Amino acid sequence: MKNPNLIVVFLVLAALVSLSPAYAQDKPALIVGAIYIGSVNDYGYNRSMKDGLEEMKANIPGLKLIEAENVPETAECERVMENMIQQGAKLIFPTSFGHMDFALNVARRHRDVFFYHPGGYKVEQNFGNFYGKTQTAWFPIGIAAGRMTKTNKIGFVVGQPIGYALGNVNAFQLGARSVNPKVQTIVVVTNSWSDKAKEAAAANALLDQGCDILTMHVDSPAVIIQAAESRGAMSIGFQSIESRRLAPKGWITGLGFTWGKFMTEVAKSVINGTFKPGFVRQGIDEGMMAVAPFGPSVPADVQKQVLDAVDKLAKGFNPFTGPIKDNEGIVRIKEGEVWGNDKMGNFDWYAEGIVGKAK
Amino acid sequence: MIATLLRGVLAGAILSGTLLLYATLGEVITERAGIVNLGLEGILLIGAAVAFAVASVTGSAYLGVLVAAVAGGIAALIFGYLVVSRKANQLASGLAMMFFGTGVSALVGKSYVGAVIEGLPKIRVPWLSSLPWVRGSTLFNWDILVYLAIPMAALAWWLLFRTRWGLGVRAVGENPIAAFASGRRPQLLQYQALFVGGLFGGVAGAHLSVSLTRTWNEGMTAGRGFIAIALVIFSKWHPLRAIAGALVFGGAEALQLQLQARGTQVSPFLLDMFPYLLTLAVLLAWGGARRSAAPAGLGRTFVGIE
Amino acid sequence: MRVDSAAKSLRRVAVWSSRPLRYLLIIVLALAIFSLILLLVGKDPVKAYRDTFAYTFGNAYGLSELLVRMIPLLLAAVAVALPARVGLINVGGEGQLYMGAWLASAGALAFPAMPAWILLPIMAVFGFIGGAVWAAIPGILRAKKLVNETITTLLLNYVAPMIVSFFIFGPWRGVESSSYPQSAAFTDSARLPSFFNTRIHAGLILALAALLLYWLLVEKTRWGVQMRAIGGNPDAAERLGIPIVLFTVVVMAIGGGIAGIAGMGEVSAIQGRLRQGLSPGYGFTGFLIAWLAGARPIGIFLMSLLFAVITSVGDILQITQGLPYAVVNILMAVILFVVLGRRPVRRA
Repeated sequence: MKNPNLIVVFLVLAALVSLSPAYAQDKPALIVGAIYIGSVNDYGYNRSMKDGLEEMKANIPGLKLIEAENVPETAECERVMENMIQQGAKLIFPTSFGHMDFALNVARRHRDVFFYHPGGYKVEQNFGNFYGKTQTAWFPIGIAAGRMTKTNKIGFVVGQPIGYALGNVNAFQLGARSVNPKVQTIVVVTNSWSDKAKEAAAANALLDQGCDILTMHVDSPAVIIQAAESRGAMSIGFQSIESRRLAPKGWITGLGFTWGKFMTEVAKSVINGTFKPGFVRQGIDEGMMAVAPFGPSVPADVQKQVLDAVDKLAKGFNPFTGPIKDNEGIVRIKEGEVWGNDKMGNFDWYAEGIVGKAK
Repeated sequence: MIATLLRGVLAGAILSGTLLLYATLGEVITERAGIVNLGLEGILLIGAAVAFAVASVTGSAYLGVLVAAVAGGIAALIFGYLVVSRKANQLASGLAMMFFGTGVSALVGKSYVGAVIEGLPKIRVPWLSSLPWVRGSTLFNWDILVYLAIPMAALAWWLLFRTRWGLGVRAVGENPIAAFASGRRPQLLQYQALFVGGLFGGVAGAHLSVSLTRTWNEGMTAGRGFIAIALVIFSKWHPLRAIAGALVFGGAEALQLQLQARGTQVSPFLLDMFPYLLTLAVLLAWGGARRSAAPAGLGRTFVGIE
Repeated sequence: MRVDSAAKSLRRVAVWSSRPLRYLLIIVLALAIFSLILLLVGKDPVKAYRDTFAYTFGNAYGLSELLVRMIPLLLAAVAVALPARVGLINVGGEGQLYMGAWLASAGALAFPAMPAWILLPIMAVFGFIGGAVWAAIPGILRAKKLVNETITTLLLNYVAPMIVSFFIFGPWRGVESSSYPQSAAFTDSARLPSFFNTRIHAGLILALAALLLYWLLVEKTRWGVQMRAIGGNPDAAERLGIPIVLFTVVVMAIGGGIAGIAGMGEVSAIQGRLRQGLSPGYGFTGFLIAWLAGARPIGIFLMSLLFAVITSVGDILQITQGLPYAVVNILMAVILFVVLGRRPVRRA
């Protein structure tokens, strides 16, 4: 190039010109940043996060929320978070598991900014961790499915076979089996938390195999629920209880996250200077999760059975109490052993009656 | 047991393969005119986003498909301007179109993510769909695009091989100078071929968003445009053979999911690779023989297919 | 019959790209078109550009991140530019990056106890080999005139991430985070060091070295002349006795290897372990950069810088204006459109 300096000069000039200035703003009580891995309109995980944040915003007047959707779990997300901090964010929710390490890097660089990360496990002075007690919460949902199925085959679409997801399937199957020993849960893995075309094909494949209820652990339940509804099957939702609107006829129930209460508490703690990092896991009774309203075809006694199970959970019942065998006959949880919160990520096996390969 | 597996694979193959067929048909026509459109992926995305947006706004998925087709055609014309009039390198232009399509589709689709649409209605064939083996599956209970897929392939064949227009297109693809000398206008023919290709591409994308998944999200075509380009070679640039190609690849996709649904003990990732490896294997086995079937004009772009 | 090879077109682009003013005009024109599109959807382009400059050039973090972004872009661009000299189209940068990351991770996980000064070069070599093999496969197929490398490299892009997923869900699944698909964390000795408390890492050295190597190879050696001969007219080159098959495979392999190093850089410096989602499209962006840069090293450097800035525009648009990041692809495409549409090629 004859004169590359020209470009550099141009860029520097442009930089100087634009650095001028600031747009005056009112000082909000708190600026909260949130990054989502997908779109908030997914009737699923991201929607539940957005709903929680909106609830937090409604509870705290003067709170400003800045958000970014479709932020991938790569080095990019660090830049996005840094940008938000430059805009004044003092509390950040990096809402996807894979954002964790990057958020931690940012947290270490900015000890005056606070983070609460869902689904992870690292905790530092300005970095905490929270999630719902999903695994055990799937047990009552399984009861509903076990009672409602007529073909005794239930389809479960899983995004990625991580421990937590397998735990969900296991609790679901344990619940279903507890009311219907013949029931089978068939698992199909799409290898992506959010590949709609695969989810549609997976749903169809499960329906082709005779499943009459579909449920899932993917970011958004929409496609699978719609597939079930269009072929006359029943569905159970996950992540956001709003998804019931997609299946007016076939909806049984679902499990959703209701993060708002917790998020409000965290935001208040940042404003008051009382932020406490922790490894927080809350269930239905503490308000972080909710069982969705039942669909029109669910009989009253099934509803009662489900809600009774929810009660039992609140009183300390843990479905992962031994002895529990996996689908190859090996005892995985021994007699007298109980798997608590800390072990929920350790599943690499499927319980009896589940058709699928865990690894 | 095998019967259910076969039925599932066939049903899945037809569902997944429909959009592949449309995309492949469009690209066959384009390549017959001597132009490779690597940007097909971008056109699929534009089709998907536009169809979904229009369906959300107007409530009519059919209208969505129509507008998507036109949008695909327009995008193809933009690409055409670069490679036909400006004689730009086809591969680079194609990738640029892919980027363009990725961005435009994201922009268009942004406001409609999460919208719920009715989608293309399913039309049930009265007697066939109640046959014992068929009942309970998606066979013979499809939307209009699936029913039209094979007729469209026949139409493409007829256009290319039984009309004067098609003859002209193929002539341009073989030897643009000779075509020009014989009184045809190569550039016009190429633009027309590209436009038709874009129409098909837009429809293919539309099928994904308003029928198969009834949703939109960024990048949802996941490389199907590139698969279609490979399928063009697989089918020796012939519309009717493209049907086989689309079924095979659609079937491969369906097979891996059906196998999982039956509890086959293979890693889902290995199963996932199967369609792509199958395409590669087929290209490999028949790639050499394909060379002579390619329109000669394509050689100017693909060094090595000559 | 003349062959419209990539190298020739690249050189044509290079002719005018040595005039900085035209360069500037292209960028300005592209920005103008993009601004129009932004205005059409009711967004504020001026604010977007101002914000971008403020966040990228206005502070040390922004500047350092530009360099961080450039590292994989530079490598991906060279991975395309080198094979282009022989008339080969390498669109497989994504897959080659993943395979490089995979093999480098194998090294990191297999030899955790080694000191950094041995382990890091081993990982770099492994990264190179991983990408090289992945590119050599299409290279061999092309050399044997079986399948065109454009298609094969494209298809292999989709297979490579699946191989990575297979390993991180299976044999390499990390114990501490068995709940999440990723390998165990690399030991400190497997992490490329960074400079000045930023994320600029030693991969930058590798990237600049690759650029230098590219320049030396192509401009200064006998092989470079031979490569250009093949790229310009393969038939004549063959008649001259230049071993085309060998060149094809070797050059593809080297190109892929360089992309593989980009992968090694990502897992070693940025991620610290092997996981999914390593590349937001570096391979394809590298292709665009190589195309725009006209195969000259300084052009590649500046274009990588430009694209690093452009990706910042995407971030800004997302945070401050609520547009999806993917919209920035439109800007990249428009730049390429403007470049490609500039001068019709008047050749038979």
